[in-house]
Amino acid sequence: MAAIEVRGLAKRFGRVQAVDGLSFEVARGKVTGFLGPNGAGKTTTLRMLLGLVTPDAGTATIDGRAYADLDEPLHAVGAVLEASGFHPGRTARNHLRIQALAAGADASRVDDVLELTDLAGAADRRVGGFSLGMRQRLGLAAALLADPDILILDEPANGLDPDGVRWLRDLLRGMAAEGAAVLVSSHLLAEVAQTVDEVIVIDRGRLAAQAPLDDMLSTAGPGGSLEEAFFRLTAGNWGAGGSAR
Amino acid sequence: MITAVRVELLKLRTVRLGYGLLAIPAGLTIVFSILEASRAGTRSGGVAPLNTASGLDSVITGGVWFLIFAAVLGVTVSSGEFRHQTATATYLATPRRGRVLAAKALAAALGGAAFGVAGYLIALGIGLGFVAAKGYPVPIGDATLARYGAGHVLAAALLAAAGAGIGALVRSQLAGVIGVFVWTIIVESVLGGLFTSARPYLPYTAATALAGAPLGGGAFGPAHGASGAAGPLPFAAAAALLAALAAALCAAAARTTVRRDVA
Repeated sequence: MAAIEVRGLAKRFGRVQAVDGLSFEVARGKVTGFLGPNGAGKTTTLRMLLGLVTPDAGTATIDGRAYADLDEPLHAVGAVLEASGFHPGRTARNHLRIQALAAGADASRVDDVLELTDLAGAADRRVGGFSLGMRQRLGLAAALLADPDILILDEPANGLDPDGVRWLRDLLRGMAAEGAAVLVSSHLLAEVAQTVDEVIVIDRGRLAAQAPLDDMLSTAGPGGSLEEAFFRLTAGNWGAGGSAR
Repeated sequence: MITAVRVELLKLRTVRLGYGLLAIPAGLTIVFSILEASRAGTRSGGVAPLNTASGLDSVITGGVWFLIFAAVLGVTVSSGEFRHQTATATYLATPRRGRVLAAKALAAALGGAAFGVAGYLIALGIGLGFVAAKGYPVPIGDATLARYGAGHVLAAALLAAAGAGIGALVRSQLAGVIGVFVWTIIVESVLGGLFTSARPYLPYTAATALAGAPLGGGAFGPAHGASGAAGPLPFAAAAALLAALAAALCAAAARTTVRRDVA
């Protein structure tokens, strides 16, 4: 069974069809990139997957169950959706204490993830004074608290410095090597190309392609880049390799 | 559910807002109760002497400032999730949103109860201090004082739970907080002054009656001290009215705004 399975997912906001019959699967043991232009429906799809937005049609499941039906959701899935979802007057440590309590995770995990995300020195500072990169790290720390084996990350590299980007890459690769399923959306195509095993590209709410990274790169010709493949796909020129629509 | 309530209480304890909301009515109660106690028994004061139950009641009524701020606390417990965009993390941890709202209402009620305790102890302490300073015996019996205390706690807890329902309904923290003040200070004052027979059933007025304030004693404007045929609601009826209000507001939020997409 795929760790994440999306079938015929659709969502309309007013006159905008944000997601339109989208289907894909995400396997364990891989990092899967989730790519698309601005407004392609990536964030809406991830939010439907996590039960935050109700789809008009279709299903999105994690290990065969809707997110809301998971017994211990934070043990199953770690998610980072936005770098702004923190109370500015609360310290990083207290934010994580709350998340740990909510997740049923051991309180000692708070210090573990603060160390892991290199935030131990800022643990008792209020989040309102954090940089974007520090907020991203805090979001990742919260996502890792309950040691999930599925990660869903929306633009996690935003605001990270080069060290942070490398750290994130190593973290995601390491988790996939241990059998986790990692789904990560990003606009940083060069970075994605160094991190992912599989690529899902969506455009205007529809699947443009899902293929292993190598297959995706081969469509861009000899020495081709993910960026070239991406632009070809989102311009509607995808024609070979993978499971293009 | 116990974990969800503990999470909400931990959220309350780890930001300064709740402490600020506690400090404001503390200051107001101290000022109001000292002023009432100072005026008690004077010719121009309009407050009965402190060796009478009515006089001490007037001083203890100062504690009802905490009831308004308990409702505000409740509003911030639920609307704060949208103000600071923390609803996403909350619903990821507890996807069943009705359970989240119930936990918030319970946590708000517990926080509100603490407000009720604080309000009563401050106002009672000032009142008894003035009574003792004047060498009077305490004019209100222990049982009645205990009922006032229980009423403060219950009224503040139920208003805070109602506030949590309001915050979940309107989602806007500013609108919810302004709404609480407009209702208690303006709407109930006008309605209570115009329709004295309906006055006991107005929520804030019922809460102040539950806390032991004379009917209209905790009100503002025309409703303050307005005379009318209707007396205050009995203790149990006032508690039931506030509990029904809190339940109705939370149920309305659970069926409407709480189900909305968190985009």
